[in-house]
Amino acid sequence: MGVLRYCLLALLAIAGVHASALSVQSPRVTITGPDAAQLRTESLLADGPLPTLTLGADDALKLTFQVVESDGGKGVQPHQVFLRFYDELSGEEGIQPLRVTPGGKAKFELSMSKPPASLPPSSTAPLRVSLLLGSFSHAPASYSLFDLLVPPSAPAPTHPDEPSFHARPEIVHTFRPDPALPPRPVSALFSGLVLAPWVVLLGLWSHIRPRVPRLFSPQILPFVSSLAAFEGLLFWYWVDLRLGDVLLYGGVLGLITALTGNKALSATGEWRTGRK
Amino acid sequence: MRLLWSFLVSIVGLATAARAKSSSGDSVLVLLDSSVNKDDYSLFFKGLEERGYDLTFRSAKADEPAIIKDDHPQFSHAIIFAPETKSYPKDITPQSLVELLSKGTNLLLALSPKQTPLTSLASEFSLIPPPPGTPLVSHFPERDTPATVIPVNVSHSSPILTPELPPVWFSGVPFALGTNPLLVPLLHAPAESFATDTLTDSDADVIAEASEKGGEGLWAGSQLGLVAGFQPVGGARATWVGGVELFSDEFAHKEISSGVKSGNEQFTVDVASWTFQESLVLRIDSVNHHRLDETAPRDKYTTNDKIVFTTHISRYNPQSSEWEPYSGIKDLQLEFTMLDPHIRTALPPVAGQPGTYSVTFRAPDRHGVFKFVVDYKRRGWTHLQSSTVVPLVPPRHDEYPRFLSAAWPYYTGAISTSVGFVIFSALWLGGSETKKAKGSKAE
Repeated sequence: MGVLRYCLLALLAIAGVHASALSVQSPRVTITGPDAAQLRTESLLADGPLPTLTLGADDALKLTFQVVESDGGKGVQPHQVFLRFYDELSGEEGIQPLRVTPGGKAKFELSMSKPPASLPPSSTAPLRVSLLLGSFSHAPASYSLFDLLVPPSAPAPTHPDEPSFHARPEIVHTFRPDPALPPRPVSALFSGLVLAPWVVLLGLWSHIRPRVPRLFSPQILPFVSSLAAFEGLLFWYWVDLRLGDVLLYGGVLGLITALTGNKALSATGEWRTGRK
Repeated sequence: MRLLWSFLVSIVGLATAARAKSSSGDSVLVLLDSSVNKDDYSLFFKGLEERGYDLTFRSAKADEPAIIKDDHPQFSHAIIFAPETKSYPKDITPQSLVELLSKGTNLLLALSPKQTPLTSLASEFSLIPPPPGTPLVSHFPERDTPATVIPVNVSHSSPILTPELPPVWFSGVPFALGTNPLLVPLLHAPAESFATDTLTDSDADVIAEASEKGGEGLWAGSQLGLVAGFQPVGGARATWVGGVELFSDEFAHKEISSGVKSGNEQFTVDVASWTFQESLVLRIDSVNHHRLDETAPRDKYTTNDKIVFTTHISRYNPQSSEWEPYSGIKDLQLEFTMLDPHIRTALPPVAGQPGTYSVTFRAPDRHGVFKFVVDYKRRGWTHLQSSTVVPLVPPRHDEYPRFLSAAWPYYTGAISTSVGFVIFSALWLGGSETKKAKGSKAE
């Protein structure tokens, strides 16, 4: 195999600069519909913009040309006669080698009902069709033939892991809505209703005017204060405190309340018996 | 004297500037077979040695030094330039090469038109080499080199390669690229090239037959790759090259057009520096999480908490052999996952703090064991993966919202009861009995 490789290299090295170039003569393209009606015929490589040909799902395209030497016009059969389909938008490409007779004549048929494997996946962008001619004994040539619009195909297959190699769509968690509360004025109204008995009480007291002559005596006041302190501890527990602290403070306060209460109630009893 | 001194300083400066050490070790095993002469590749190998690598040359027939011993890789990197050898020594098998890759050894592997053990390994990497004996051939552009020596334009879109590289000379086989996203194509074949074993114009029918039904297919076009990198999730990199001559001195000195040197030298330097973990190497330095109004991480969070997640990412700088904070990742994402991602948000870089990426988000209202997952995979870059487990517990009995407006009537009721009790006891204890005036009159 090494010997063969050296022979190949020697052969190719001799090639050097080629005398003549390859060229194309009378390229024609014909599009026929499903009922063999000729829809369009174009003679390619004429001056002007590239023709854009549209193929429907049942149409067929036929391309004929002859490969000749650029000087002399003799038909040749080159090494490489490829038709290249290229989608510029997606970068997909397809290469179709064509059979050429020894006289240089070539014919290619593309039927959309049975598309060739070399037709690349395409979307709505036109495929650029070009002809590549290469040979060991002539200079190469490439020609842009026409733009082809075919029905969009399924997209090229991608690997299932491909999305994880790009930024993925963001996921936002939908939270449960905050529990609905009744409107504040309603709550305020009912709080007001709760306070209504106080209004009645204060109204009645304004008539009676109760008097508390003994409240600030030294036997009564500490007990009432410690009762108020208990209520304060209860409020503090509600707002801030923990059970352990409350029990501690409550224990201390309870001891004080027992002592002062004892004094207060015995004093009250004495007053009642003393008066009587 | 001053001229000599500045000359010496510039030499030293050049020498240190040329050093670009790899981030994963300097020892390289170079496997050459009898067809590859070390002196024909002196530019490439001397360039590696100047950049700080220790090259150990080994013949493809020798058994020492072993590339892997007792399941432990002996070298950080390996280059296999053995295009004509049909069988390799016992320690280099396709299985051992894959094992080396999973253990962190980077590989630079060269294919050839001949059938070598690497040809069958290439298909494991989603590369499809052509049948044996079909090198890449291109008649374009017209030139005085053989048809198998092809100038290839370098596409300018890859961050691995130096921008504005001139075309490179190539001789070897192409391979078709699979859809595997772990592949990083570095050099595509020219659109007019194809792989064939035909030598003359009269064999043109063979090419057409190959692509017809029943034929083996035609390797042609710009979808073929000539140099492709492969980065599995473990982090080690493998680069497949279609031919050894890409690295040769002859191709490096050959001119692409009059006066324009080929890009082979710089291209091979870029390919080797990517393969040996110099360029495009990232790592996660640290990962932190805490509640919005705290600084220390907690061992569990509550549902609906506002959590701040921060990560520090560095990139390896081969010139200074150091890891530097890197804020250039624009599409990093964080996933908060329990079996499936519940939240996926962008993790943007923090302005003013290089290398820091941070995001604040609200924990979902489902409790459970969640993970902070950072999973960054991009072609050519090191894969970044980090996963931190954190439980999310429902609120404790005293963590619910309190003092709701709906409860105002109940608060006022309870407070007015307390107040009423105190007032009543004050009235009862403090008041005195009034004399019944009428009652005493009756007596």
